Amino acid sequence: MIEPFTVPFMGRALAELALLALICGPVSVLVFVRRLSFVSDALTHTVFPGVVIGFVSGGAEGLFAGALIAGVVTAVLLTVLTRGGALSDDASAAVVLAAMFSIGVVIVSRRSSYTSDLTSFLFGRILTVTPRQIAETAVLAVIILGVLLVGARALIFRAFDPAGAAAAGFRIVWLDLWLNVVVALVVVAAVRAVGTILVVALLIVPAAAARMITSRLAVMAVLGSGLVLLAGYGGLLLSWTASVDHGISLTSASAVVLILVLAYVLLPLGALRLRRHPSGSVRPERTSPHELVG
Amino acid sequence: MADATLGFSGVSVGYHGSPVLTDIELNVHAGQRLTLVGPNGAGKSTLIRSVLGLVPVLHGSATVLGRPPAQARSVTGYVPQTGSLDAAFPVSARQVVMMGRYRRIGWWRPARAADRAAVREALERVGLADKAQRQFGVLSGGQRQRVLLARAIAAEPRLLLLDEPFNGVDAVSQEAILRVLHDLSAAGTTVVLSTHDLAVAREFSDLVCLLNGRQWALGTPAEALTASALRRAYGGHAVDVDDGRTVLVEP
Repeated sequence: MIEPFTVPFMGRALAELALLALICGPVSVLVFVRRLSFVSDALTHTVFPGVVIGFVSGGAEGLFAGALIAGVVTAVLLTVLTRGGALSDDASAAVVLAAMFSIGVVIVSRRSSYTSDLTSFLFGRILTVTPRQIAETAVLAVIILGVLLVGARALIFRAFDPAGAAAAGFRIVWLDLWLNVVVALVVVAAVRAVGTILVVALLIVPAAAARMITSRLAVMAVLGSGLVLLAGYGGLLLSWTASVDHGISLTSASAVVLILVLAYVLLPLGALRLRRHPSGSVRPERTSPHELVG
Repeated sequence: MADATLGFSGVSVGYHGSPVLTDIELNVHAGQRLTLVGPNGAGKSTLIRSVLGLVPVLHGSATVLGRPPAQARSVTGYVPQTGSLDAAFPVSARQVVMMGRYRRIGWWRPARAADRAAVREALERVGLADKAQRQFGVLSGGQRQRVLLARAIAAEPRLLLLDEPFNGVDAVSQEAILRVLHDLSAAGTTVVLSTHDLAVAREFSDLVCLLNGRQWALGTPAEALTASALRRAYGGHAVDVDDGRTVLVEP
């Protein structure tokens, strides 16, 4: 079960996913309690043209810069637009996001390697991750975790009771910007490895799955990270076994997400079995499992 | 003489330049209990939010402990309506009360023993020390309201503001909350609460402010809750009954 990971590209893929697991657990908890699945979804749509423009103009280096710029600009715009409920019209927002996405597709379709480029932007290239990319992800992980650690209390207060947090003197708009930028940085960190589509799964599923078995935020964060790590290991192993032993081509990133979603489905069943035994007054108070795909 | 806890003179408050409440004249001192009375939509919550500096003052002069409202947040405590919060939020009663300490704790340091002691003491005051580890959402409406009161107490405020604290609250919790508020005001904390329950206003308050779009009366319960003032503020919903009192009827 460890042997495939002695192959360098498999080891690097696992290292990259482990770093993403570390940040996606805690960040997904905040995305969950703030109900920011819409923002995460929006970011994946707007980061896509950024990724494409960056790649077309500056290759692999430009890709990172393009994603970063697009992500941060989107985070700022979303904070400003959602302030005071200006962005209440879901339909018009969705039109803008679809347009951004189309711009990305149009630009990438002008290239000769259209299909493979598009696939890699959408679903990532986890198996070709370079040591340099891992280092960049590590730096982003440290920044994200640091920023999150400082802001966690205020961000949770704001998520639970915005009026109370404002009355206590917290500036809500800055806290919103803070979290939106954090989510944007996670998208940027994860986009090369798992692609723009699947990064939504990493931001939403870990906390939603962990919530099924615990109602403690810190435990949710740790469990969420553990789940992504397990899914990363299992997904890589699955795609390796499928292609090496059975000749089936299974993209690694989608295998990772499939396992993550499987955990989301199976965890409540396991939790249900536990609760059959008479104890406490734990209620399966599930908030919306969140719309996974936009 | 020390500054009034609340000094509002000729104040209008509202959103986007259009006033929701006008003619507010308040002069409330340390340890006094002020009740805001008025029908739904009268502007009670707006007035509370303006004391917190969350709704702008359009005209007149407003001070909270001698400062502009927004700069007095470190000494004000706010208790929102429990119904406005998400009961499914994964957080324990103790964690909710700890939120009252967040401004003191600041961004960088972890909670200290003093913070934990303040949280424990606040939960004891509202009679929920044994529920500290329970999920906020599984508590009853009244218990949730008491947790929110404990959160405000943990911040050690000089001015406590409660928005409709008895909505959807059982009698036991209402009694517990009123007892704590009496103790706090006896110890010098100014207490402002909004309610549409005239009986609570009569029994609890030193001062009653009768609101509906503007301030209709201010004074002791006997002075402010007169039949004529109530009829002016409530229109046809205030009706005289046999014993000479005025009661409110549903429209």
